[in-house]
Amino acid sequence: MPRRNVMVIGSGPIVIGQAAEFDYAGVQACRALGEEGHRAVLVNSNPATIMTDPEVADAVYLEPLTVASIEQIIARERPDALLPTLGGQTGLNLAVELHEAGVLERYGVELLGTPVETIKLAEDRDRFKRKMQEIGEPVPESAVITHIEQGVEFARTAAFPLVVRPAYTLGGTGGGVVYNERELRETLDAGLAASLIGQVLLETSLLGWKEIEYEVLRDSAGNCITVCNMENFDPVGVHTGDSIVVAPSQTLSDLEYQMLRTASINVVRALAVEGGCNIQFALHPERSEYAIIEVNPRVSRSSALASKATGYPIAKISTRIALGQTLDQIPNPVTGVTKAAYEPTLDYVVVKIPRWPFDKFPIADTNLGTQMKSTGEAMGIGRTFRAALVKAVRGLDLKRETLTGSFTQWSQAELEAIVARPTNERLFAVCELLRRALYPGTLDLSNGRAAAIERIHAASAIDRFWLNELADLVELEERLRAHPNDADYAQALEWGYGTRAFGDDSRAATAAPPAFRMVDTAAAEFPAKSPYYYLSRGESDEMRPTPHEAVVVVGSGPIRIGQGIEFDYSCVHAAWALKAAGMSPVVVNNNPETVSTDFDISDVLVFEPPGADEVEAAYRATHARGVMLGFGGQTAINLAGELSARGVPIVGSDRNSLDMAENREQFDAALARLGVARPQGRAARSFREARAIARELGFPVLVRPSFVLGGRAMEIVYNEGQLASYAESAPPILADAPLLVDKYLRGLEIEVDAVFDGDDIMIPGIFEHVERAGIHSGDSIGVYPPQTIDEAMERRIGDVTLAIARELGIRGLINIQFVVHDGRLYIIEANPRASRTVPIIQKATGINIVAAATRIALGEKLRDMEYGTGIHPHVPFVVVKVPVFSFSKMRGVETILGPEMKSTGEVLGIDSSFAGALFKGFVAAGVRLPGSGGRILVSIADEEKHEAVPVLRRYAELGHTLVATPGTRAVLEASGIATQPVNKIADGSPHVIDLIASRRVDLVINDAKGTREISDNYKIRRTAVEAGIACLTSLDTARALAEALASTAGPPRSLQEYRTAQATIGF
Amino acid sequence: MPPSAALFLADGSRFDGHGLGFAGTAFGEAVFFTGMTGYEEALTDPSYAGQILTFTYPMIGNYGISGSAAQYGRACVAGAVVKQIAHRPSHHLARTDLPGWLNAQEVPTLVGADTRAITIALREHGTIWAALAVGEEALKAAEGRLVEFVRTATTQGLVASVATKRRTLLEGVPGGARVALIDCGVKRAVLRELQALGAEITVLPYDATAQEVLAGDPDAIVVSPGPGDPTDLPQTVEVLREISESKPIFGVCLGHQLLALAHGARTYKLPYGHRGGNQPVKDLTAGDVIVTAHNHGYAVDASSLPAELEATMINLNDGTNEGFRHRTRPIAAVQFHPEASPGPFDARRLFAEWFESAGLPRR
Repeated sequence: MPRRNVMVIGSGPIVIGQAAEFDYAGVQACRALGEEGHRAVLVNSNPATIMTDPEVADAVYLEPLTVASIEQIIARERPDALLPTLGGQTGLNLAVELHEAGVLERYGVELLGTPVETIKLAEDRDRFKRKMQEIGEPVPESAVITHIEQGVEFARTAAFPLVVRPAYTLGGTGGGVVYNERELRETLDAGLAASLIGQVLLETSLLGWKEIEYEVLRDSAGNCITVCNMENFDPVGVHTGDSIVVAPSQTLSDLEYQMLRTASINVVRALAVEGGCNIQFALHPERSEYAIIEVNPRVSRSSALASKATGYPIAKISTRIALGQTLDQIPNPVTGVTKAAYEPTLDYVVVKIPRWPFDKFPIADTNLGTQMKSTGEAMGIGRTFRAALVKAVRGLDLKRETLTGSFTQWSQAELEAIVARPTNERLFAVCELLRRALYPGTLDLSNGRAAAIERIHAASAIDRFWLNELADLVELEERLRAHPNDADYAQALEWGYGTRAFGDDSRAATAAPPAFRMVDTAAAEFPAKSPYYYLSRGESDEMRPTPHEAVVVVGSGPIRIGQGIEFDYSCVHAAWALKAAGMSPVVVNNNPETVSTDFDISDVLVFEPPGADEVEAAYRATHARGVMLGFGGQTAINLAGELSARGVPIVGSDRNSLDMAENREQFDAALARLGVARPQGRAARSFREARAIARELGFPVLVRPSFVLGGRAMEIVYNEGQLASYAESAPPILADAPLLVDKYLRGLEIEVDAVFDGDDIMIPGIFEHVERAGIHSGDSIGVYPPQTIDEAMERRIGDVTLAIARELGIRGLINIQFVVHDGRLYIIEANPRASRTVPIIQKATGINIVAAATRIALGEKLRDMEYGTGIHPHVPFVVVKVPVFSFSKMRGVETILGPEMKSTGEVLGIDSSFAGALFKGFVAAGVRLPGSGGRILVSIADEEKHEAVPVLRRYAELGHTLVATPGTRAVLEASGIATQPVNKIADGSPHVIDLIASRRVDLVINDAKGTREISDNYKIRRTAVEAGIACLTSLDTARALAEALASTAGPPRSLQEYRTAQATIGF
Repeated sequence: MPPSAALFLADGSRFDGHGLGFAGTAFGEAVFFTGMTGYEEALTDPSYAGQILTFTYPMIGNYGISGSAAQYGRACVAGAVVKQIAHRPSHHLARTDLPGWLNAQEVPTLVGADTRAITIALREHGTIWAALAVGEEALKAAEGRLVEFVRTATTQGLVASVATKRRTLLEGVPGGARVALIDCGVKRAVLRELQALGAEITVLPYDATAQEVLAGDPDAIVVSPGPGDPTDLPQTVEVLREISESKPIFGVCLGHQLLALAHGARTYKLPYGHRGGNQPVKDLTAGDVIVTAHNHGYAVDASSLPAELEATMINLNDGTNEGFRHRTRPIAAVQFHPEASPGPFDARRLFAEWFESAGLPRR
């Protein structure tokens, strides 16, 4: 085949419903294109991805994912073809929009793989339904709705509950299960708005049916295989992304399995899919009847899960299919000898459990429904469901080592309510109910068990099979707590529990020794080449010798707010650097979405929770030199003490450095020795003491518990009243859990990533934040090169970074956050590890600091490497990182930004100017505003009003109309800025909320710093989120946006071109 | 406490676990089945007669025993090996649980064994004679008895142990095809597929003579699947040779091998057989790939096919022959199981297609 120029569209920032799975898919796609000799042009705005590394694609565009931006890229790259089905719903929708806008035709771009017609057929609820009826496949009774009254009409004939499914949306956005007309009207309003084509499907609910998924591949010759099927623990009613999912199905007979397999193939054939496709079924538990719920004609979260569950690389094979190859021609990458036309068979079980962000959002609605709320997931592989489930639970990194124990304080009524109406805690509520039924004291065990299972089944429709499995686990846990014994201990290890789950671990070595088993897609029928393992206990070990000396890289587990894809990025680069250094990387991680758990990345992949037991086992089995903890985020760092105690050597920054950075007193002492300032503050052991410290420091102060127990953590308080109300709602202040009270310095925030080898430091670049300190660095807009600090300050930052790295004994990466206040540099915190900004600085400067850190850990010195030392000169362009939030998925969540991180992902804007980069960053983040003539609602807290005037004046000068609440309006009018009035809620309709809800404004600026009460402000922000209108909660952000709007961004340029531009100025 | 149990392979290796209630010893060929569902069909499949069957999928029995999935009136395997067995199944069709059924069927069963290690051993050594012993007494004697067993072990007699002893008539629809089925150990699913096409089926013992087969002048002959080595059945091969000039014939699995032998081709023993539901087969005529159900330890040597036979299907995993047809006569055969049960339905259409090509009436 001639070399072709193929464009791949990524999925953009990580949001709820679209996470790292598309980085994994995109990387596989680009690699497959490269292997076939084609040129890959990649577009994705997400800088934390591996796919946007210049090594992955021939031209990488970190540009906004909009039709306008992609058209510009098409115009200059002139691709022959576009691969639309690997970038999630975002990529798929863009491909359709580019097609509809005539862009593809205009530039002669061929769509590869699944045709647009199929995408539209699968996404258009009405046409899809008719197509299914045509081929005789059952679908639930439903109506296609384009306005609310139509839906109300349908509801008169069909019984509630009804399911609302918007067409062309992601993760069920805007959908849900509705139980009455009021809910129906609300959900239809949101659903119609969320749909790309203003269409929703309203269908009769199949609540309580089994939910089953199939992953199918079809090639252009019509060959079909099913890679995997999956059965949900949660029956229909909970979005599959929020469900506990088991692969393969466990309660389906062969006849049912084959019936649904055949139906999947019928559907895929009828739709003429070319590539991967996901099909979701509801299966009646008493009648073996089924209905097709949904079809996704693209790779998806489920296909990533299926790939990791089976070892079959769906995205890679889909890409080859899109290039026109057929399944019987494509070699099987696992065995190396057979063909891709085969169906994997498993000799283990896989369980996926979602990770929800509710620990960060205490007031969020935790009920689960058809709209996805989780940010990530943990997968467990075990020889049995029990082992896989326990590993998945442990892998969530919620400090839960057992199924029971965390919920003993809950009332029976609370537990039963959760079982009947699912929340994120349903699994644990079920287990606690089982525990109470099994061990009520004197009752006959078997009766208690059977009756409890019937009760839970009746309330939840969870299949009795799962409940019996859980009961077996709960029984074992209780026996081990009551009467520890060797036989049960060995059983617990075989069922996936950790060696410390029940206290003593002295029996671990002999009870059930660890044994690595292969994931080979063939249940051992054929020998496999893929170095993909999981841990079993008490069985034979299959670990093969590594080609070179091994080093273990510890991953970061499930994606959650605060620990995202960036750590996976670092782990992958560490693995690559180890390979380049002639070592054998061994990756331990349990996130099925990510690139690091692709067995192509490492020499040994151990798919296990990154916990002490598993890391130790991997280290011993591979006779590794040691383990690297600096790349897997806090999850990995937290293992330092435990691993050291077990005699596992840490390569890189050792336990002492890690401890010192974590321990506030040690860290303060180190700073004192260095003469480096930090905001004053102390630990308070009572409220009275906290108030005294705050008075002494002067308000505002930053307060946080030293041990974060629930969701509540850091907050800035401006007066004593706020401090008191914080103390009331925060965890109790105790002698051994003091409250930390620090002076809050509202200065310029600076972030640095550096590597230190014991002698020299290397700082590729310094980040400056747009928002002043007080907003979590992950939620701030970050800029490189810095725009306001001078050279002297940069030197000072470099000197302090070096001093701290030396003092902490760093050997590898260090991340430091500073504040510049009144011209003085203060340090806020230092982390001896990779950070959120590592991928960005690496992309911006082209300096692979992860590789440098890895080589330092292996004993090399910076001066012997190619990266130089000291602070690098600025690049001749600007990158701006803009955070992206998933507030629309989290009903009720407070959107105001503060010291607690809330964003789920980020985008990058790159341009020759700061304003241009900002502009691209905002556009990429989904903030849309006309250049002039927009309507902007402003409502500003009293403390901020004087500062707001010049910022808002700028918007008025740019030709926008300001609509202001009375207090804000008075200040603006007094300053000579014309505004339109709008009522506060209390003044009656039409008021500010009506204005936003009816979408008669384009942007909301609501800086309400220092107000804690649930007020108009909260309603303004939430209404803006529900209405899909951008809402800025910081004047700093608003100032930046005004600057961006006043500028024009330059044309798109590839990362490779920026690299060349940088080279020409000398480096 | 469940009794101790172990699987002993003739090479001296041993795999431990525990048994169910039924104690005793099974002898036979150790083989493995890779399907993730379909244990009831597999355990009752006559083609597993005389074999100790290891399930590679580790959780067996989850949906119980329905009776309706059975392929034969009783369990056919000599013994069964599973990693974990479900004592509390969940399915609306479950009439009993698997452990209880295995006990009632007196199938010695090994539970909790390292089934993956067993599979790797079988893959590396090839199919091997074995003993499965349940209970202390049986365990003590097992190794000695296995040595004794291996001395005289044979696949001969397996077909006779499961095939019908007498001619039986299964009615079809009026005007349907009249099919004579040579039963070498037929699965119910094969009969069901033929009946679904409206055929009247005369089931004949595997050792029926040509006259007996042709008695009543059937429209076509089907040669069924069954256990063991096709060269154990020279008499059946001879009968097929005699009738191949006069009737349309369709062979499935063992029937495919017997038809090949009848036309002068050779068969050979596979290293460890094909047993599962995920085998990719390429249709050499249509060019497409289907996923098929397999259960065989022997294969037809494609290079030995005579000129009048044309290979129609090939296995994509190992290149073995999966089907042939006669160039001029309505004779065709497939190595896999188009009737599935257990396994995918991709090849179900082959029965109807053969009816079509042989000019047989179908419902």
